Amino acid sequence: MKDLRVDEVLDQARRASHEVSTDLVDRIAGTIASTLAPVRPLPSPWVLAAGLTLIGVAVALLGALRAGFQGFEALGVSARLVILGTLAALLVIVARQVVAAWVPGSRRSVSPAAVLVMICGALLLVFAALFHDYRLQHFLSAGLTCLLTGVLHAIPAGLLGWWLLRRGYAVNGLSAGLLAGIFGGLVGVTTLELHCPNFEAAHLLLWHTLVVPVSGAVGLLTGLLLRDRSVPDKLPRKSA
Amino acid sequence: MDMEGELEALMTRYQAGDFAAARALIERLSPRLHSFFGAQTGKRADADDMLQDAWLRIHRVRRTYRAGRPLLPWVYAIARRVRVDHYRIAVRTATREQQFEEMNAAAPDTTCEVQRVEELAELLAPLPASQREVLELLKVAGMSLEEVAQATSSSVGSVKQKVHRAYERLRRTVGLMESNRRHSEVEP
Repeated sequence: MKDLRVDEVLDQARRASHEVSTDLVDRIAGTIASTLAPVRPLPSPWVLAAGLTLIGVAVALLGALRAGFQGFEALGVSARLVILGTLAALLVIVARQVVAAWVPGSRRSVSPAAVLVMICGALLLVFAALFHDYRLQHFLSAGLTCLLTGVLHAIPAGLLGWWLLRRGYAVNGLSAGLLAGIFGGLVGVTTLELHCPNFEAAHLLLWHTLVVPVSGAVGLLTGLLLRDRSVPDKLPRKSA
Repeated sequence: MDMEGELEALMTRYQAGDFAAARALIERLSPRLHSFFGAQTGKRADADDMLQDAWLRIHRVRRTYRAGRPLLPWVYAIARRVRVDHYRIAVRTATREQQFEEMNAAAPDTTCEVQRVEELAELLAPLPASQREVLELLKVAGMSLEEVAQATSSSVGSVKQKVHRAYERLRRTVGLMESNRRHSEVEP
């Protein structure tokens, strides 16, 4: 009975006339007409996600090329396959999520926070399964160096990703920033796995994994700053 | 061609620079968007402002629509952003200038349509913003669960859960409203 009453009120609101004055329609159409030109639609989300993944791989490879492939060379074949395979799969998943955040009305199955938890969980699982050296040599100094290296590689990856998606529109700047940061962080971790020959479990579990949330936080802050700058204190009263 | 298909075809022509298609799209979608914006504040002037802002943004990012994809989730995702921005501006302005009294003292519109929108706004007021929003999109804008999920960047399951919780709360509100009404009828 009460459900019917609720539906009745909602239905009345739906059927209520929301006539928009011809004057307002004319004004909107007039504003649009002055800058109306053909536009090239964005490429398919899969093309953008592939481009983003390629950017990530390129930044990681260039970073490792500059710093050296000591980590990759010291890893066994199976460890290489598991680590790089996992990172590649995660890069594709996150690239798809980043693109979805930049295209309005895209389907999103998981929240950005869930993506962050999933990525960190997957990295912790892989590192815990593969590495069993529990020494703590130069834990802090070596860790901070790796964290810095990872984040420094995350930044160009995030910027290049932003350049690729510059024709898109992030309806939620915070989500888009967080996802771009997570993507950059994954690129940073990939660089570290290629470069860093330190296979102590604690080092990998803490410092390498930490690159992802730290980069995510940088992306989130950037999204927050850009969002606040994009919204004026007061919009001009156009309907006067 | 169904209505959705017609809207999508108009949007594709709009992207190609066809002014007639752009105008037709504005005429067809504006009443729905106005209703969506009006449900937030119940004030026509604010809904007019948000409508203009929404169309400017739609125009600026029209390249992000992909032909063949449902149009309404794309439009409402942008409209939702406009609504959030206007809400933030209103809160910021009110905090800085302490204009609460002035905002509340705005002359009420007395048309029947506005009364209905106000009744809806009153009914939905106790709901959390996320539940109110999915209910408006689903029941007032007439979108499907899948479309609402796309417009709000969430999953269909999450939309269903929000609607279920919103109905639970609304049942209590409606019950309370009707009980108060009966009470006031008995005791003049």
